[in-house]
Amino acid sequence: MNLETLAVYIASTLHFALPLMLAASGELVSEAAGVLNLSLEGMMLFAAFFSVWGTSVTGDPWIGLLWGIASGIVFAILQAVLSVRLRANQLVVGIGLNILALGATTFLNREIFGALSRQLVPGFGHLHIPGLSTLPLLGPSLFQQDLVVYVGLALIVAIWFVLRFTAYGVACRAVGDDPRSADWAGISVTRVRSIAILVTGAMAGVAGTLISVGDIRTFTEGMTNGAGYLAIAAIIFGGWRLWPTVGACLLFGGAMALQFQFSAATSPVPTAALLMLPYVLALLSVAGLVGRQVPPAALTIPFFGSR
Amino acid sequence: MSGAASSAPASGLRIPAPGVVIPLAAIAASFVVGFALMALTGSNIGAAIGAFAQGAFGSAYAIGTSLNRAVALGLVGLGFILAERANLINVGGEGQIAMGGIFSTAVALYGGVKGLPYGLAVLLPLLAGTLAGAAWGALAGVMKIRFGTNEVISTLLLNFIAILLVYWSVQSVHLLRQPASFAGTLPQSLQVPPSTTLPLLTGNPADPLHIGAAVAVVLAIVTALVLRRSAFGLRLKAIGLSPTASHRAGIRTDALMVSVLALSGAFGGLAGAMMLLGDQGYLTAGFSSGYGFDGLVVGLLARGSAAGVAAVAIFFGFLRSGGISMQISAHVPAALVTIVQGMIVVAIAGSAILIERMGRRA
Repeated sequence: MNLETLAVYIASTLHFALPLMLAASGELVSEAAGVLNLSLEGMMLFAAFFSVWGTSVTGDPWIGLLWGIASGIVFAILQAVLSVRLRANQLVVGIGLNILALGATTFLNREIFGALSRQLVPGFGHLHIPGLSTLPLLGPSLFQQDLVVYVGLALIVAIWFVLRFTAYGVACRAVGDDPRSADWAGISVTRVRSIAILVTGAMAGVAGTLISVGDIRTFTEGMTNGAGYLAIAAIIFGGWRLWPTVGACLLFGGAMALQFQFSAATSPVPTAALLMLPYVLALLSVAGLVGRQVPPAALTIPFFGSR
Repeated sequence: MSGAASSAPASGLRIPAPGVVIPLAAIAASFVVGFALMALTGSNIGAAIGAFAQGAFGSAYAIGTSLNRAVALGLVGLGFILAERANLINVGGEGQIAMGGIFSTAVALYGGVKGLPYGLAVLLPLLAGTLAGAAWGALAGVMKIRFGTNEVISTLLLNFIAILLVYWSVQSVHLLRQPASFAGTLPQSLQVPPSTTLPLLTGNPADPLHIGAAVAVVLAIVTALVLRRSAFGLRLKAIGLSPTASHRAGIRTDALMVSVLALSGAFGGLAGAMMLLGDQGYLTAGFSSGYGFDGLVVGLLARGSAAGVAAVAIFFGFLRSGGISMQISAHVPAALVTIVQGMIVVAIAGSAILIERMGRRA
């Protein structure tokens, strides 16, 4: 592998990792507050469709992005009402919502675009960072990304800031580790958790938009293909800490990018093995390759009020 | 606080047998939404219902196909409720079906079984598929007890890996892909020999219902007895309620968790083997095609009862067949069935708290 292919590989890794990074950092907020959204997959799929639809209707990918975020939030409201308000089993709700998202997006796609349509919508423009983008080798691949990529990276930093430095971030952890004490201290468990789920929905919305409008510029049925589950696995791998989670996403992204390094004919490794690699890595990582991880104490446990 | 605000949503309302009535209401509401969507898209509802009925139970062939579908869904559902009793959620039905398909194909084609007497030609491939599913389930169990990995995440990821293993098997001529000597080899396995296919229940080819239906009925009864009457069932319930207390009471919780996930996976593997040997006859990419997820929904809705699994599986078997026929002859997307299924799961999960409250009041 020479330097030029290495530069392309790094850029491609970032390309595949970014949706995972966004989804995982959004989901981390919910998990810190004690809610596991298996529906992350469905939120992303929902946003992948609605961002394409929005872009197709308005001709503007940025408005498409807003549609994606809005649809992610709408989906998250469902999850929040069910798992926080009604205290339903979070895992079962997540599974049900994912089935619903697959059905709804497939149905809408066939009704609006037709089953075999591959209608392309306008994509995001590039941003060349002055100075850096002309660096030899790495410059063009790393610093001439779609503008939306920088927006995504900024959002991850924002999540880090909120979790680390704001009262809301502290409340999240309090509610996720010991909801009863948090409740006694006057924090509304319901509200903190509900807001956290909406943040997850918004971030999943951006992630889903990147997968459709930000990549192949169209929607295909079930196109998230487990990305939401990979993001959840990345959080476990990262030990519920943001930067290690982002690192895990980069690892999975690197595994996905490998399949484009070899052309199918000359590949020394079967395509199926390359396709499988991210899931195998995710499985190994949740199996505690890095040692047993400690999740937030109240993760997946509904809170039944202070009586 | 907020807990008090939402704690009395249905005070004064008295519903007899809320555990039955509320899920039925949830199912009915989901269907209403399904019909509304159908009407909104301007489909001819009469034609759609006609196509649905024709595909689901319009002929002996349709009924047989629907029931064969129900057999696969029911087996996955039975596996699900077994693990559920120990408070383990096996979401890996899809992957376990895929593994069952791969290994039953391999043994049926290359295990030298096709000339064996006493039904061994069928039994050995079925056994291979069952064991493969069991191994896939046990893997999640071992990860659970060794590393504390949540079985929901591990079984979900194992689904993707197994589905890609099917793809790999039919892509590579070194594995199960049909030999390249054929003009234009397709990415699928050879057809399994006739002696390895499941015998039809009636012997009449116009009625595709195979012997798996009888096997599934027996297994449902056995599962019900095991859950209700056996020491094994009681131990499962104990670790479901409290693993720590069960461990102190001398139950070998680790071994039991791995066994029940293996058993749960075995049901999925058997379902996959039956789908292959009883219906499809050859392995192809995407062979499991959502049966595992449908079976999971069957298990979720059955609320821990084997009779419930049977009822929901038959219902979903007809629902899927009808949905497919509706798509082909009335151009209503079969995704509508998926939407209705998703809504049913969500509605029933969301109403669990209502059921619990009313049950307590009664």
